[in-house]
Amino acid sequence: MTAAFSSPSQSARRMRHSRRSIAPWLYIAPAALTFLVWIYWPLFDALWLSFHQWNMLPRAPVKFVGWSNYANIFALPKFWQALRNTGIYVIGLLPLAVIVPLAVAIYTNDLSGRFRNVYRAIIFVPMIIAPVVAASVWRWVLDPDYGVLNGLLKSAGIAPIQFLTDPDIAIWAIVFITGWKLIGFSTLILSAANANINPALVEAARMDGASRWEIIRDIRLPLLSSTILFLVMITTLLGAQWSFSYIVVLTQGGPLGSTTNIFHILWDFGFSSMSVGWSSAAAIILFLGFGVLAFSLMRLADRYSFHDN
Amino acid sequence: MAHLNLSGLKKSYDGKQVVHGIDMEILEGEFIVIVGPSGCGKSTLLRMIAGLEDISGGELLIDGQCMNDVEPSQRGCAMVFQNYALYPHMTVRQNIGYPLKVARIPKADIQRRVEAVAATLALTDYLDRRPAQLSGGQRQRVAMGRAIVREPGVFLFDEPLSNLDAKLRVDMRIEIRRLHRRLKATSIFVTHDQVEAMTLADRLIVMNGGRIAQIGTPAEVYARPASTFVASFMGAPAMNLFEAATLNERCVKLKNCEDWVTEAGFRLPPAGHGVTVGIRPEDVAISLNGKGLAARIELIEELGGSRVAYCSRGALACAAMLPRDIDFSEDQTVFLNFPASAIHLFDQEGARFQEDKSNNDGNSAQADKSFYTGVKDALAVMTGTE
Repeated sequence: MTAAFSSPSQSARRMRHSRRSIAPWLYIAPAALTFLVWIYWPLFDALWLSFHQWNMLPRAPVKFVGWSNYANIFALPKFWQALRNTGIYVIGLLPLAVIVPLAVAIYTNDLSGRFRNVYRAIIFVPMIIAPVVAASVWRWVLDPDYGVLNGLLKSAGIAPIQFLTDPDIAIWAIVFITGWKLIGFSTLILSAANANINPALVEAARMDGASRWEIIRDIRLPLLSSTILFLVMITTLLGAQWSFSYIVVLTQGGPLGSTTNIFHILWDFGFSSMSVGWSSAAAIILFLGFGVLAFSLMRLADRYSFHDN
Repeated sequence: MAHLNLSGLKKSYDGKQVVHGIDMEILEGEFIVIVGPSGCGKSTLLRMIAGLEDISGGELLIDGQCMNDVEPSQRGCAMVFQNYALYPHMTVRQNIGYPLKVARIPKADIQRRVEAVAATLALTDYLDRRPAQLSGGQRQRVAMGRAIVREPGVFLFDEPLSNLDAKLRVDMRIEIRRLHRRLKATSIFVTHDQVEAMTLADRLIVMNGGRIAQIGTPAEVYARPASTFVASFMGAPAMNLFEAATLNERCVKLKNCEDWVTEAGFRLPPAGHGVTVGIRPEDVAISLNGKGLAARIELIEELGGSRVAYCSRGALACAAMLPRDIDFSEDQTVFLNFPASAIHLFDQEGARFQEDKSNNDGNSAQADKSFYTGVKDALAVMTGTE
């Protein structure tokens, strides 16, 4: 009798229980699915492809080749050139993406209303221009025959510079254009962080006898350090990627591969020569390399963040 | 130790004047408290002295030297901020030592002085901690340490106790007073808390609307407030203020309460002039017998050491301290008596009447013991027709 009464209520409870245990999974399902489809699946697919040879044609056979894609890439001078260039992009971008915006943010902090708006417009305009449009404009500006810049150099009596065709200069031209596009974003982030510093701290330092420079060195920079590290981190991780559109539009990696970087050859392997195995192997190398970098930079950022209360 | 002279000190923002010509002298070693409600300009005045705000007009002299355009660090002032303004990325040791570091003092000297200051403020055990790892009171002491270590001529305190809990505030108040006694540095302390103001000050400056309302020792300001503003601002519960009018050149009668008259003991404006009568709650004599103004107790506030009754009689409201030995209860009818000696009289603009002794006709002894209920009796007493 007791069993007959208890069993329906027990099953109802079980159903309620199972429904409740599913609920949290349902809540996170949209995000989890997005991650799965757009991040983890491509990641594992790339890992799988990096051990195979395939030309991306649906009918073509996919052949397992073991580590040979990796071995081939490491043996390829173009890969090492791209890796070295990636380093140049990252290091070259740091002054433009961090140091210049830092100086601009600190020195324009005290600007009054009208000047602040003018400087904001100047700084932020590059940020909102589409990269391909910006690249086309820069191609005109840097043109050796008709470009504004060479026109100015000529009028000053200086021989025209082959900004985009000289292998020694082209990479710096791309670095500059990428940085020019980035300054607005970095300045925005640093200005916000700088404005967030408790003004009483600066006043206390003034009372303590600190000079303008000492206030920047001893108060502002340490308190901005976590933001600076954040910018260093994203510039390091994404800087070379941001230059991709300019490389494609302006130099296609040339001249003589002097402006290519790891993202560009990755694309080049995959979509120009259709060797998806190589492309995936390069992507995995990139993923691991930048993963290690990101981890150490995050640790640093944690250590240097101070909470002003 | 330094002395300060402020003459006609003004401050305006975009043409709007917020401090209107402050004149005062602060003596060497004096502990001055500037007190006033929010927005009265007290913090602005302090920041002008510190050099954190430009001076729009007038002159600031420290030890006889004009400091109007001198950098904050060169004025010989140290400041304790309301939120302490401790550098969050530095340890207590680095915080206290920072003024010495930027002054390029040798490291060994910095260490010695920082440790000496830390010992005075009981911070020795916390020297290697960051501000985030300290309690409110400890942070407050670090802020004081950073001010003391420079051995400044003038200490400026900008509401330094307002972020502390009640008990700690009392402790720190005593500590600040003790410290001042030992260091004897000229100190200017800004607060909106009148208890802090009364307990800390050698001299009080009460400010209102960017102007000085009164300067004096705490006892003077409390006993003889210069205006209705000072009268109502200093003292808790606030002084009772009643609208009244002169009955003749010596007597005043309350509005809304026709049967109460008092004598000023000095010459007043002629009959019919509006005046304000003030009496502190502790001076109101309250009793259960049938003498005085009949009023009803609306509310009794228990303060532990004392009790305050808020009484009303028609439109007239009056707070009174209750004697401990009599049991009062809410809604009870009581009788209020205002001893004439405890009465403050203010004119229509709210300024205190200046007692003119020459006009005193010798009746003040009588005024002292008198309170009057019943206008006829009072008139009879005062006009001598009794």
